[in-house]
Amino acid sequence: MRIVIIGAGEIGFRVAQRLSMENKDVVIIDRNPDAIKRINDHLDVQTILGSGSSPVLLEKAGIQQAELFLAVTDSDEINLTACLFARTLAPEITKLARVRNQEYMHFKSALTREILNIAHVINPDQEVVRSLERMIDIPGALEVNHFAAGRITLTGVRVCSQSPLIGLRLMDIPERYRDTRFIVAAIVRGEELRIPAGKDAIHDEDIVYFICESPQLENVLSLFTPCSTKIRSAFILGGGSVGLLAAQRLENKGFSIKLVEQDAQRCRHLAGELDHAVVLQGDGSDGDLLREENIRDMDVCIALTGSEETNILISLLAKSLGVGKTITRINKFAYVPLARTIGLENVISPRISAVNTILRHVRRGKVISSVSIKGEEAEALEAVALENSSIVHKPIKDLRFPKGALILCIIRGDEVHIPDGESVILPRDRIIILCTRPNIERVEKALAVKLEYL
Amino acid sequence: MHWRAMLSFTGAIIAAVGLFMFPALLCSLYYKDTGSMPLLISMVCSTFLGSFLYLGWRKHAPETVTSREAMAIVALCWISAGLFGAMPFYLNEAFDSFTDALFESISGFTTTGSSVLVDIEAVAPGLLFWRSMTQWLGGMGIIVLSVAVLPILGVGGMHLYRAEFSGGRQDRIKPRVRAAALSLWKVYILFTVLLAILLLLGGMNLFDALCHTLSTVATGGYSTKNLSMGHFQSAYLSIVVTVFMFLGAVNFALHYQALRGDPLALWRNSEARFFLILVLAAILIIALTLWATQTYVSFLDALLAGAFNLVSIITTTGFATTDFETWPSLTKGVLLLAMFVGGCAGSTAGGVKCMRIQLMCKHIFSECFRVIHPHAVVQVKMSGKVVEENVLAEVCGFLGLFAVLYVAASLLLAAMGLDMVTAFSASIAAMGNIGPGFGSVGPAENFAHLPAAAKWLLSWCMLLGRLELYALIIFLIPEFWKK
Repeated sequence: MRIVIIGAGEIGFRVAQRLSMENKDVVIIDRNPDAIKRINDHLDVQTILGSGSSPVLLEKAGIQQAELFLAVTDSDEINLTACLFARTLAPEITKLARVRNQEYMHFKSALTREILNIAHVINPDQEVVRSLERMIDIPGALEVNHFAAGRITLTGVRVCSQSPLIGLRLMDIPERYRDTRFIVAAIVRGEELRIPAGKDAIHDEDIVYFICESPQLENVLSLFTPCSTKIRSAFILGGGSVGLLAAQRLENKGFSIKLVEQDAQRCRHLAGELDHAVVLQGDGSDGDLLREENIRDMDVCIALTGSEETNILISLLAKSLGVGKTITRINKFAYVPLARTIGLENVISPRISAVNTILRHVRRGKVISSVSIKGEEAEALEAVALENSSIVHKPIKDLRFPKGALILCIIRGDEVHIPDGESVILPRDRIIILCTRPNIERVEKALAVKLEYL
Repeated sequence: MHWRAMLSFTGAIIAAVGLFMFPALLCSLYYKDTGSMPLLISMVCSTFLGSFLYLGWRKHAPETVTSREAMAIVALCWISAGLFGAMPFYLNEAFDSFTDALFESISGFTTTGSSVLVDIEAVAPGLLFWRSMTQWLGGMGIIVLSVAVLPILGVGGMHLYRAEFSGGRQDRIKPRVRAAALSLWKVYILFTVLLAILLLLGGMNLFDALCHTLSTVATGGYSTKNLSMGHFQSAYLSIVVTVFMFLGAVNFALHYQALRGDPLALWRNSEARFFLILVLAAILIIALTLWATQTYVSFLDALLAGAFNLVSIITTTGFATTDFETWPSLTKGVLLLAMFVGGCAGSTAGGVKCMRIQLMCKHIFSECFRVIHPHAVVQVKMSGKVVEENVLAEVCGFLGLFAVLYVAASLLLAAMGLDMVTAFSASIAAMGNIGPGFGSVGPAENFAHLPAAAKWLLSWCMLLGRLELYALIIFLIPEFWKK
């Protein structure tokens, strides 16, 4: 599978890294020699130096033989121009483009229909606000991912010391809690991610990833973190486009919002755009301002300024001032695990969100959605079992399924089934699979091995 | 200063006033009353003189006028319309003096409705028709003023409506001022026709129906009866008139949008919504008070009387179905406050306008908010759009000036020997273009007994209020007369 990527920035780099690890044929174009050098130094992919919107270079990159085209430069216009040429050079190719301008997003159909025919328009700001909303809607959760059109959720949660589940072995849980059905998919203890067996027990401070039906989510969460409260008010720091979008969404939900922004001109604009939110002009890292505005009584502090260092500092400051929950926006991938080690658990990153969206499209066969959990170490895939796949019509215990992978859920029509060894997957069932990274390729093969003969 | 432009504009207005005397003349001839000669003479004089001025200076009129010239033209137009409109009254024996005739005419053209007539029913029908006609013309004038002149001059926060009429975004109804004025006139005429038909259906004769229609859509308040609307004793008529007084006090641009197939425009507009809620709340307070104090035995009667008289006052019309002077003091207090509010900007109503009250409240709230959150950045908004600081400043300036002028006028009236209630209510009744006040100028009384000086002062106040203060005030400022 050949993939052409234009833009060797953080998103392009990450996607290329992931895909090259899975032995995909990646060509990356960027006009910045340093970015190209960085790719050459770290990754085993083909690079071309030059403008991504140049049709000559696109042809040279072999776009006619490629199946997927990713336009992820920093410039919307270059991305869209490149998509236009890609459409002409290779009419059948699937195109994904990163578009940041909110005004373009209001006319999304102009990008996804006839002329450009972009399969998915990725707006990092919108993606990050969406994940922010999920974090806030479901307090206590570190990460929430939806599968099967929202009916199933995979949720990551840090076990609170008052949880009644501590010390219980996983195999004993269903008996104890008959009303709330869930299955633990992965446990992160310290730095290690493990796919648990029935004998494993839940410890205090573990991060547990579990699968359950969406309506059940609140009940299950209250078992893991009985201490977290429902969020009604938010302190947002940074009134850029993400800050504004977040404030607008939360305001519509009836939250009480305080939004801090440094630039006076921008503040006036924000105050005009927002109806009830209190817009404050000042430095978000100024403890006096936060104290004066009673940050202690707010349910969550969301640091969304353009500088991730500032965001981290603000979150630590807010924590020390007594805020229950902090959400920190971090752009650099390298900082994400760091933030966790200093106690900032809720991290959102426009780039990670964008990378996840892109990877979902890259997956072969009928993978419908995929997310990466615990940063990168494992991936949850949602897929439709095909008639000719090797996994159907057999009990699960007889499948030659890789070790690090686990079938979490089988969805047949409206029924959600949490499988055991005797379960059988039928064609057209939707399945959710968790697997650690080295096994992704094998799982993909198992799902789609006969696809090529179709 | 382009005096020629002013003369030509004023001439056009005088000629128009003369031409509009023609229907009144027809009416007078039909009733064979004493008004025919005065109306004929005035019509010929005004039309002739007006045309002379207009045609004589039209060629010399410049293409554009400066804003102070525009102000002066507006003031001159109203004053000359008042002067020439007073001619038929002056030439008829029903009015004692020139002062009375002028007071009546200015009260008409400013859509106020205060009258010096003691026995209205004894006056020639042709003159009564002309009285109502002056209000209707005044209403038309005020629509043009609020569409074309005030938003551009930005008087007292009217900048807010600049976008609405001349080049803004979604509120814009027609790109050009002239076209906008014409479409609003269409709405005005449509309301006039509709109301006349409804009043005829309610059993009024043609003469009464026409006169009341003309003074209702203009929110003027001249009646042909001594007891005003109370004469008719009909629930149907009072409901119909209540509704049309209300409509006359809502921004005509919104009516236009509503009639063009967007009825929700009225509700989306924050000023119209505020006005509606205010009116409903005030009606409820008045009706409950009237009912609780047994002024009316049945709640329905209390509601009907409360609604009619409150709407009549707050829309600055000035009809009455009853002598609300005898009502309990709480209701009178509500009515007095209603006099200060007035209708919406862009309507025929007077008063300080809901828009300014609303902006002032929001401004005060934002100031309080800033005290609680010293770092907060607050933007005052109307209908979801940010109101600029200079508009707020203009509004505050307008309200301050209004208060100062109101107090000054009241004190002057008191100095002329009027009792306190009369002095303080007559001045707001004139400045707000309402009509009746309280005390000896209450709904059952008239302005005939006031000294001549008070009548001149009140005529001045009516013009002040109608022209949004500044158009007249600037004449008093030396800077205006400098080259």
